[in-house]
Amino acid sequence: MESKTNRPGPHHPLVFMRFRPAWAYIDGIREFGRFFCETTFGTPEVAERARVIIQETLENAVKYSSDTAESELELLIKSDGNTIEFQVSSLPDAAHAQALMAELSGIHSQDPEKAYLAAFQRASDEPWASARLGIARMRYEGGVELSVKEEESGRIRVTATGKL
Amino acid sequence: MSITNLTAPKLDGINVDIVGSDTVKLKGTITKKEPAQDLDAFFKSVHRDAVSTRSDQISVDVSELTFVNSSAIRLFVDWATWVKNESTHRYKLRFLTSRHITWQKTSFTALKSLMEGILSFETVD
Repeated sequence: MESKTNRPGPHHPLVFMRFRPAWAYIDGIREFGRFFCETTFGTPEVAERARVIIQETLENAVKYSSDTAESELELLIKSDGNTIEFQVSSLPDAAHAQALMAELSGIHSQDPEKAYLAAFQRASDEPWASARLGIARMRYEGGVELSVKEEESGRIRVTATGKL
Repeated sequence: MSITNLTAPKLDGINVDIVGSDTVKLKGTITKKEPAQDLDAFFKSVHRDAVSTRSDQISVDVSELTFVNSSAIRLFVDWATWVKNESTHRYKLRFLTSRHITWQKTSFTALKSLMEGILSFETVD
């Protein structure tokens, strides 16, 4: 029988990373996440979804992070055996924090596939504007729902939760 | 003139090659912050050439393009939109994909549904 210490509960991160918000780190962290999920959960499908979620959440976090000593990013991966959860905590500059909060609020109103199609349509209709493809892609290809929460000191935490 | 006269850009992380008279092959990953800076001008030059020579079709082999970010997917949307909006000559934009690469199935299925008659994709492995 597996010991209790080998079976982390839903509130125990399986992965916790803290790092400076640098674009150069994203490739390495994404591929670690892929490897970790494939090794831990034994399915390439979960590993591929993890790649998409880690890439797109970290891109957003890095793009909009403030340039201060407190702006390190945190990545957590958790699972209770039925679901998988990715959390990215960052300290965005004030203008982008509001934009991101607005972008992520109300995204559940549309079916993920329809939302992804709508993002493609926006990209085609408005080549100059943001199509929010990354968020729609996470929901559809990554198979997760997204939420965002404001934390102390201006930090925000984006959570992506999906079935294993 | 044909696309064989164009020069493919040399980039980190991705190989771009012109194969034959009508195929562009992309191999590797695209995860840069602004991939348009590297690839937009090249894709546009292929598009202009295809229009000016009244090509029937341009193939883009992405079967070994293993991972891309959403900014890179946007480049393919833009390319299909150029063809869609072209008033003088429209060619078929045909993507050669791998059934083993998830992003290709989801993204090209979505893009094809918006670009019927302009874009097609088929699996090569």
